[in-house]
Amino acid sequence: MAAASGCLFCARPMLPRLCAGLAAGPRSLLRVSAYSTALVVGSAGPSPGQVAASRRSRTSQIARNRRLPGAPRTEKMAVDQYWGNVYPTAAAFNPSSVPLPIRMGYPVKRGVPPPKEGNLELIKIPNFLHLTPPAIKKHCTALKDFCTEWPTVLDSDEKCEQHFPIEIETVDYVSAGPSVRNPKARVVTLRVKLSKLNLDDHAKKKLIKLVGERYCKDTDILTITTDRCPLRRQNYDYGVYLLTVLYHESWKTEMWENEKTEADMEEYIWDNSPSQKNALDTLVRIRAAEKTTEVTKEELLASEIVENYKTTVVALKNEGETENNILQYKESVTKLLNLQALQ
Amino acid sequence: MAAWGGVSRLWRRGCQGLGTFPVNYSSRDMPKQYRFLLNKDLLWVQFSGFHTDLHHHKDNSLISISDEPDTLYRKLSVLVKGHDKTVLDSYEYFAVLAAKELGISIEKIHEPPRKIERFTLLKSIHIFKKHRVQYEMRTHYRCLELKHLTGSTADVYLEYIQRNLPEGVAMEIKKTKLEKLPEHIQKPIWDKLPSVEETATGALETGH
Repeated sequence: MAAASGCLFCARPMLPRLCAGLAAGPRSLLRVSAYSTALVVGSAGPSPGQVAASRRSRTSQIARNRRLPGAPRTEKMAVDQYWGNVYPTAAAFNPSSVPLPIRMGYPVKRGVPPPKEGNLELIKIPNFLHLTPPAIKKHCTALKDFCTEWPTVLDSDEKCEQHFPIEIETVDYVSAGPSVRNPKARVVTLRVKLSKLNLDDHAKKKLIKLVGERYCKDTDILTITTDRCPLRRQNYDYGVYLLTVLYHESWKTEMWENEKTEADMEEYIWDNSPSQKNALDTLVRIRAAEKTTEVTKEELLASEIVENYKTTVVALKNEGETENNILQYKESVTKLLNLQALQ
Repeated sequence: MAAWGGVSRLWRRGCQGLGTFPVNYSSRDMPKQYRFLLNKDLLWVQFSGFHTDLHHHKDNSLISISDEPDTLYRKLSVLVKGHDKTVLDSYEYFAVLAAKELGISIEKIHEPPRKIERFTLLKSIHIFKKHRVQYEMRTHYRCLELKHLTGSTADVYLEYIQRNLPEGVAMEIKKTKLEKLPEHIQKPIWDKLPSVEETATGALETGH
């Protein structure tokens, strides 16, 4: 036995077989030592017939000595085990590790879907066996330490807007593919309400004209979308730079802004308009015809009736024609021209 | 599966203060100092903490606190796309439970309608124009909208969500960040710099 073990140098699974073979006798020693590098003195080597016989007996030996698969792990599992130890991380479905009688696949005719053993469909589909509710709770208790709380002062949207007027919107993309990068990820959208910026009337109108389509009148939000730079940080800086430039440029008054015509005006202004001239002329002529005391235009302008008329006309022109507007206009006109008789 | 590389580094910052313009640090630029193995796949490196529960966090040596103000996200919209609706259902259950456990308020969970892309190809490599084969690709969507998150919480939650993203599912995250007005927009500069403007206009005139 010692001599036999001397000629075997490697600890391979064949070792038990070789030891078993050794027990057969010196002739078998010759056969099994064909796999070892030891020198066998004084023998001619096995003949072809002997080699074939040795192979057949070897395969039968292999068949005899093959370790049979034991019972699946599912049978040894305790009912109250911690499932997190069976599937701690994402892993493919293993039918002998999951103690559930799952069937998946298209059923044969007048049959049931195939069982879980050797079921490729179950292996292909992503499983969430590692993300059971207790496992998720365990992960989250460990992660909770690294989270911060939202400041309780900012519980509503209005307060958020009041303290933090600018909103930056960015998009991240996660997907599998040849590349991790996504060119759409560099787009940055900057949103701000113009009421939060320190702008006077002229500056606001100029900014709106400069910006054009990017301003929404209903929500009073200016949206700047930048994607001309290759990096997100650069796009963000560019967006902030644009906002700064717009703000400062709108405060400037250029020489050519004096040439603003009535067509360029955003809203109707009653002073120095044909409506004002006509109304004042009419009133002066009425006074002159009735031969009452001469009233100057300034006094007429300051009087309440004319103010009322002004507000109704401005409302009509700027907001459009609504029932309320038209009724108020009618009342102001009747008061202006003293037409109480018509009411 | 998202390629998250070897180590992801997290900064946890104090509450956003007044005055200084908050800089959103890219968390991966930070030097790594601590390594904490949560489970085989997750490698977390944590920094900083919330300044009110300092004492509790001093016990956990892996958290360190920094003075950098935390970013604030008014809304975080997570849209997942996949070919299998049941996988998205399970993932939504996981994401919602994780959000609840971490104390994140969920605004809305909705399912945008699926999109089917169909195309027709010739069945044979040569001739037989009348015989074609049709394929389709179905994409199902699920959208999870969260509100009022701090930068640290968002980083933690998103990393957890993304590491456990199943195979064959893609994700788009839309972040709406809140920021203060920068100092250079508070007031127009034209009042303060008359001399600069005059010299500039003078240079223009002489140039032309």
